Amino acid sequence: MSDSLLDIQNLSLSFQGLTETVDVLDNINLSISRGERVALVGESGSGKSVIARIILGLLQSQKGAIVKGSVRFRGIELEAATGNQIESLRGREISMIFQDPTSSMNPVYKIGTIFHEILNRGTHNISKKLALIKASKLLEEVSITEFKRVLESYPFQLSGGMNQRVMIALALANKPALLIADEPGTALDVTVQAQTLKLMHNLVKKNNTAVLFISHNLGVVHQFADRVYVIYKGRIVESGSTSSIFENTKHPYTKALMNAVPKITSKSFFDASDDSSLFKQPAFHHKDREIGQ
Amino acid sequence: MSKPLLSIKNVSKSFSLGDYEIQALQQVSLDLNKGECLAIVGESGSGKSTLANIIMGIYPQSDGEISFKGSTLPLKRLLSHRKDIQFVQQNPLSSINPSRSIGESLRLPLDVHRIGHANERNNRVSELLTEVGLTSNYSKRYPSTMSGGQLQRVAIARALACAPELVVLDEPTSSLDVLVQSRVLSLLQKLRKKRSLSFLFVTHDLAVVRNIADYVAVFKEGKLVELNGVNELFSKPVHSYTKRLLSAIPVISEDEIQLLNQIKEKE
Amino acid sequence: MKLKIKILLANPLSFMGLLLISLVFGSAIFADFITPFPLHKGAVVDFSNFNQAPNLTNIMGTDLVGRDLFTRIIYAFRISIMLGIVVLIISVPIGVFMGLLAGYSGGKLDFVLMRITDVFLSIPPLVLAMAVMGLLEPTILNGMLAVTAMWWPWYTRLIYNLTRSEKEEGYVVAAEVVGASRWHIMFREILPNCTHAIITKMTLDFGFVILIVSSLSFLGLGVQAPTPDLGSMVAEGARYLPDSWWLTVFPGLAILIIVFGFNLVGDALRDMMDTDS
Repeated sequence: MSDSLLDIQNLSLSFQGLTETVDVLDNINLSISRGERVALVGESGSGKSVIARIILGLLQSQKGAIVKGSVRFRGIELEAATGNQIESLRGREISMIFQDPTSSMNPVYKIGTIFHEILNRGTHNISKKLALIKASKLLEEVSITEFKRVLESYPFQLSGGMNQRVMIALALANKPALLIADEPGTALDVTVQAQTLKLMHNLVKKNNTAVLFISHNLGVVHQFADRVYVIYKGRIVESGSTSSIFENTKHPYTKALMNAVPKITSKSFFDASDDSSLFKQPAFHHKDREIGQ
Repeated sequence: MSKPLLSIKNVSKSFSLGDYEIQALQQVSLDLNKGECLAIVGESGSGKSTLANIIMGIYPQSDGEISFKGSTLPLKRLLSHRKDIQFVQQNPLSSINPSRSIGESLRLPLDVHRIGHANERNNRVSELLTEVGLTSNYSKRYPSTMSGGQLQRVAIARALACAPELVVLDEPTSSLDVLVQSRVLSLLQKLRKKRSLSFLFVTHDLAVVRNIADYVAVFKEGKLVELNGVNELFSKPVHSYTKRLLSAIPVISEDEIQLLNQIKEKE
Repeated sequence: MKLKIKILLANPLSFMGLLLISLVFGSAIFADFITPFPLHKGAVVDFSNFNQAPNLTNIMGTDLVGRDLFTRIIYAFRISIMLGIVVLIISVPIGVFMGLLAGYSGGKLDFVLMRITDVFLSIPPLVLAMAVMGLLEPTILNGMLAVTAMWWPWYTRLIYNLTRSEKEEGYVVAAEVVGASRWHIMFREILPNCTHAIITKMTLDFGFVILIVSSLSFLGLGVQAPTPDLGSMVAEGARYLPDSWWLTVFPGLAILIIVFGFNLVGDALRDMMDTDS
């Protein structure tokens, strides 16, 4: 499997509190190959965002966190990786964009400075001048024509949509192999979100970047992803190619999610059953022509 | 032709922030008739929430007039207005007092408007809870032990406590999860029918609008750009912004995609 | 509530604080039973025994007129605690009321109330208390009055800031829109959300109030002889350092224990509040 980029096997996570242990993730298996766009769909509390943090190694140090299982990037076990290796992975090979673009950038730095810092991770000791030139090109790729003004601005001076595009440019600056996008565009207006996603789609295709797309929005997932994992209360309940999942939905939870999205061709809302025991059915993994689950 | 329940005439609103003047609403006029659900749709900066706040009397308009049941709404609302027009806010974690029990929060409107006898009011609270799909023992619970969906149901129950005529809802399900959202919307639909309520429903989600509204008002940057019946708006949108909003909806099913393509083709 | 107590007990620092506080309160309440010479709290002299270093009969030694220091310290705890309680019971409601009123009303009322508060806040606490005492007779009651007078503004400022931020919350808007009166909103909606902050501040303050009262007594303004007070004891004994060291050291340590204990618990309460938000 030389094409396999990210390989998560048997991942589980629990938190040890004062009085009890809380299980957050249970036996997660997920893989992404080069250039693949994989979506992780679930509601809040499902554990989807936490998986991203584990991949980036941001969760393991949290108090009371017990992480089990294997997370491999390009075959290297991340748990066993040295500090230096993780450093070089983050920001270079793996990068992330977050839900709220404006608040995830350091407000005291100009955009140009932020670019310099990020590009420095890819090319050590890159000069400010060269970094700004590179940054201008990156901004052009995300359809920002007034890049000079943007580079001179602080994040709070720009609109949400602009910041989202800046964040995408930053994330792709060092041409990472894997981009993790955590609910991108959720904090933005619908029209801006649509534009942003289109942009992201084109860029990742161009650079053959793999994407782990975390979202609760099925419509967006349908437009964007090649394969989908559906997560419910810490377990993957269904997985498969986008067409299998949407046209041949098998698990009751996935079906409920599909039905719950209001349709512009209907006249009433879906009153989802409160019976969560229905959702506890065993997982269904569609056998697609791909590499596997 | 009976008088509209709520009538908004040439309402404008500007906010001053230091040297800047922000025009949140410009000359907006629309009517809502009894029993109707009018949706106000727009993105951020459209002025939709500003309009909702003005109707609720949270702050006054800069210009223009609002009438309810034929008479102008004064700046300082009368108690009867506070009873007949109710509000459901977007974030239930903020709109329900975390330091008071659910029962206390639900009793407030009953006490303020002296609904029923004082010792009957706790029964009313239990009835309201069951009406929104919660059990009466929630009355003793505190918000920190409840989910967003449950709290929004409480907010809805609170809005219905005084049997209002008009309910203004500002993005009531936007902060809720997918499944929870559909349940709450379904509940709202049921309640509206059951109690013959009029809704002013503010949202950015056109798919929701399709399923709940009778009429739709599309707002862009403080201006009303299109106002039409819901069926007409979705089959024959007029304004270019409306069309843009429609095409940005992330749809899943084939028939929806076809519908949107039809709209695009007509351009 | 139960969880909060559990957290306080689990944290070693706050546990120690709670232990110290219980020690202080316990000994103050049961002073009559645990002290070897209960009469020594008053005007008793025993010159045959004066100025004794700590020994088996008087574990902390005796003072200049022969009274057992340990006994006097325990009774001084009682006085300190009572003073602390009285000062806070009067100043906190006044301060909170003003803060709520100013914070919620806004406009002219806000301006007037807060400028008055600012005046009081700008004068160093001890200086203000001394000034008040300068005008009045140095009695325990007047001492308490002086400290109360300068204590309420701190609560006003705390509650004012809290009220201003809570005012923007959805539940306040909901109450306004439903037609609730401003009094209901201030006292039944906003105030319940301030209790944690008030209790935390009162806990941290308790030690500090006692310190201020002791300082006043140290200066001769406040508690008068023969009533035992930790500050007065330190003052009297200071002249006899380093020979009769016990006269200053033990009362000083006693002050330290009270302030330290309340500080530890108060800090833990404040940390809990930060994680809440």
